[in-house]
Amino acid sequence: MSAEVTALSAPQTRTRPGVNWRKAGSWLWSGTLLLILAFLVIYPIAVLLLGALTNANPVVEGFRGFDLSITNFTDVLANPNVHLALANSLLVCAGGTAVAVLIGLTFSWVVVRTDTPWKGLIAATSMLPLFVPPLVAGVAWAILASPKTGLINTFMAAMGLSWRIDVYSMTGMIIVFGMYYAPYIYMFTASALRNMDPALEEAAEISGAGSLRTLMTVTFPLIAPAILSGTLLSFVVMLGIYGIPAVLGTPGNIPVLTTYIFKLTAWSPPLYATAAAVSVLLMVVTGALVWLQQWLLSGRSYTTVAGKAFRPRSLRLGPWRFLTLGLALLYLLVVVVLPTLALVVAAFRKFLFIRDLPALFDGRQYGLQHFERLFANPLALRSIANTMEVGLITAVIGGVLAFALGYTIHRTTVVGRRALDIISTLPVAIPGLVIGVAYLWAWIGLPGGLYGTIWILALAFIARFLPDTIKALSTSMLQIHRELEEASWICGRGLLGTLRSIVLPLARPGVIAAMTLLFILAIRELGSSLFLYTSQTMVMAVLLLDYYEGGNLGITAAFSLVQTVLLGVLISLAHLASRSAAAPADVGIGRAG
Amino acid sequence: MAPLGMFRHLAKAAVAFTVAVSAATGAAQAQEPNFGPPELIEAARKEGRMVFYTAGFTEVEQEVIAAFNKRFPFVKVEMVRASGGQLITRIKTEAAAGKLIADVIDHSDRGLMLEMADLFQDYAPPNAADYLPDSHPSPKIWPRITLGWVIAYNDALVKDPPKTWMDLTKPEYGNAQIGQVIAPSGGTTWTRTMFERQVLGEDYWQKQAATKPRLYPSGAPLADALVRGEVTIAPSLYNIVYSKKRDGAPIGIVFPPEGIPVNPYADAIPKTAANPNAAKLFLNWCLSEEGQAFMIKQFGNLTSLKKPPILPEGFDPKVAKVWLPEFSQYEKLRNTWVEDWNKIYGYRQ
Repeated sequence: MSAEVTALSAPQTRTRPGVNWRKAGSWLWSGTLLLILAFLVIYPIAVLLLGALTNANPVVEGFRGFDLSITNFTDVLANPNVHLALANSLLVCAGGTAVAVLIGLTFSWVVVRTDTPWKGLIAATSMLPLFVPPLVAGVAWAILASPKTGLINTFMAAMGLSWRIDVYSMTGMIIVFGMYYAPYIYMFTASALRNMDPALEEAAEISGAGSLRTLMTVTFPLIAPAILSGTLLSFVVMLGIYGIPAVLGTPGNIPVLTTYIFKLTAWSPPLYATAAAVSVLLMVVTGALVWLQQWLLSGRSYTTVAGKAFRPRSLRLGPWRFLTLGLALLYLLVVVVLPTLALVVAAFRKFLFIRDLPALFDGRQYGLQHFERLFANPLALRSIANTMEVGLITAVIGGVLAFALGYTIHRTTVVGRRALDIISTLPVAIPGLVIGVAYLWAWIGLPGGLYGTIWILALAFIARFLPDTIKALSTSMLQIHRELEEASWICGRGLLGTLRSIVLPLARPGVIAAMTLLFILAIRELGSSLFLYTSQTMVMAVLLLDYYEGGNLGITAAFSLVQTVLLGVLISLAHLASRSAAAPADVGIGRAG
Repeated sequence: MAPLGMFRHLAKAAVAFTVAVSAATGAAQAQEPNFGPPELIEAARKEGRMVFYTAGFTEVEQEVIAAFNKRFPFVKVEMVRASGGQLITRIKTEAAAGKLIADVIDHSDRGLMLEMADLFQDYAPPNAADYLPDSHPSPKIWPRITLGWVIAYNDALVKDPPKTWMDLTKPEYGNAQIGQVIAPSGGTTWTRTMFERQVLGEDYWQKQAATKPRLYPSGAPLADALVRGEVTIAPSLYNIVYSKKRDGAPIGIVFPPEGIPVNPYADAIPKTAANPNAAKLFLNWCLSEEGQAFMIKQFGNLTSLKKPPILPEGFDPKVAKVWLPEFSQYEKLRNTWVEDWNKIYGYRQ
């Protein structure tokens, strides 16, 4: 492979004999990546489309006798219930994204650009909701704020207040979505703010602009790609989430597209063709958003990491820093402390019937029974081991593939890179429940015994989260000025050498962040696991859903706590490892440049 | 309206069940249980494992497996659990690709299982003759589980509970106090809704829907909501609420006198089973008096055995008549009636 990779190096800067050789290598490289994407993305999506255009199961019916028709689409488009679910989805996700941007951007600015105390704690808090699977978030908030029996409402009743919170509502879902998807915005914008040269802000201030004006007219516009990427990603990820609307929207009779699709797959008999047609509708919405983002960003330069040294700037807030700290603590309380307490109560309490406040503190009602039952089930430990294994495989292989794709798309001029970009973005638009069936249909017949192994799950996760990983990586890549690579090429380094000594060290925090993100997403992923797991490859998300569907909130909460603690520990370890790995690289980026 | 012939059939089935339940003495028979010939047990020992596909609940099935393993510790049972529709899709796809992993398939929907009867091998438990013929639609398919519907309520919050199915139409139980599982959720709920229309009256759904019940996708989350007090009354599967009540949850249970709609599950062994002997031994045990008695006592199941080994706690066959749908009607009426139900209850489909 090194031959063809070397052939890609600096195609515009060096003209030597062997140009044809390089051209062939470039074709081979694109061809290989396209083949991988064809297997991971195109083939399953084609199977899905086929499913939407027929009423057949492609594996059961084979390729003969297909009666292609657009009836499913016309039925779906004419169905007022689909219109309602679509409208609800767009409303919930737009509202949720707005809340997420407000929270995520505020905290990334507070952490990176102000002298607020306890910034480490705030940074960690800003990321914590990402560890929580949506189903767990939904369950925790149902326990906290259901209109009749929510703990917050029980407290308010005890205090004699007549006002009640109703999380089984559109507003409730929007706020919960916003809180749990703010980390997407935080991740993108904090890294962009950190990597931004403050000279531009200083110039603005020297020209007489105040702090707020500088923030609004210089800082935020400069990190616009990060804000837009984070916004788009959080919006489309919310569109595909099942857990939160399933728990909070169902009692309030607020259907969204994912809960509608889940119903179609769970009914007896299931209506997969209709589910596939609804998914195509979701793909169209998402496709339009991706196009919008690219159109907005096209033709502009957002390069802010160049070969010049700088120091990150910190705004002195004076007494206002306690306000920002207070906001962060409030966020910590609402997003982390309260839901965790709710899960703790549910996990240790025999039954979640709490008549009044004194009943909540009745010690006789608490015990370890749910944990004992959980660990008496051999599937629990097996699912934990399987989940860790599949998460690791997905993070490593998916991270490498995403880097290869991201670099090829954004930093080379090889043929087919536009096609690579479009194809690798497609999976973001398809909800996991439906793509899960598509993967099953597409891959079950493959020779080599892939089905029934942990690898089929890992492949599905890699394919499904390719857009998220590439987006996370490309933001950091877009910010690395090409002059740094050009300098390396001029000094005689090949592509691999440049990658190793320039690009990787500069992008390392982004690569590690992307791999960590992929690990978390893989561990939480439910939809595509549902159809691909077998008795030997049970994963935590599936077992959690089993417990939830089994109607035992206590054991569901106990398992949620186990999962959350496990994820927290692993991510902290990964964070520590990446910090020590990234430290020398940080020096190399802006300060020593 | 149902034709007269169908009612005769229904009445016959109901009588058969009532007689069967009435004949129960509450004590298991004394004779040595028969789980199959020694060669089968030896062959199962050699296989040592089997894969069990189920639409039941994880926790419950883990307990069943543990009880089976007390008797036969040498067979490791590996479980794959999915909801009804998802399980069917998986089975059909795996079978078509020649990769059906299951050794035993357990599903709540007899109709969907019958559609796949060609996939299954001939199998009958040693006590096949003890089972009600109407409880299984094919000689290859057997009712490992039989579940019945009751009215459950939160006894810490409801002081004047409903006593009959008709009580659930009373305005005093309105304003979202009642929770209902949606009719399209699967075969078990379809059985209950069919009972409501055929036995309680053509206009029962309209009257009941007028109380504005809160709708739930399946029985288990509804039972949880009942315990928490989110809703206070719910038609519920006895086995779901029984175990919660047994563990101390604030739940009261009523066996309505108009009838207990029951849904026998459908269990079969695929022709492709890699561990057919272990599969047979597992089903033989589940379908035996010992297995059925365990599930009745532990989970509040009913049984499709002509002579139940024991009765579920609180169940008095003199008061509560068991109602089993006539199978051809169960199949024929389903789509149109479920559509009617969705419209009447304002369930968006």
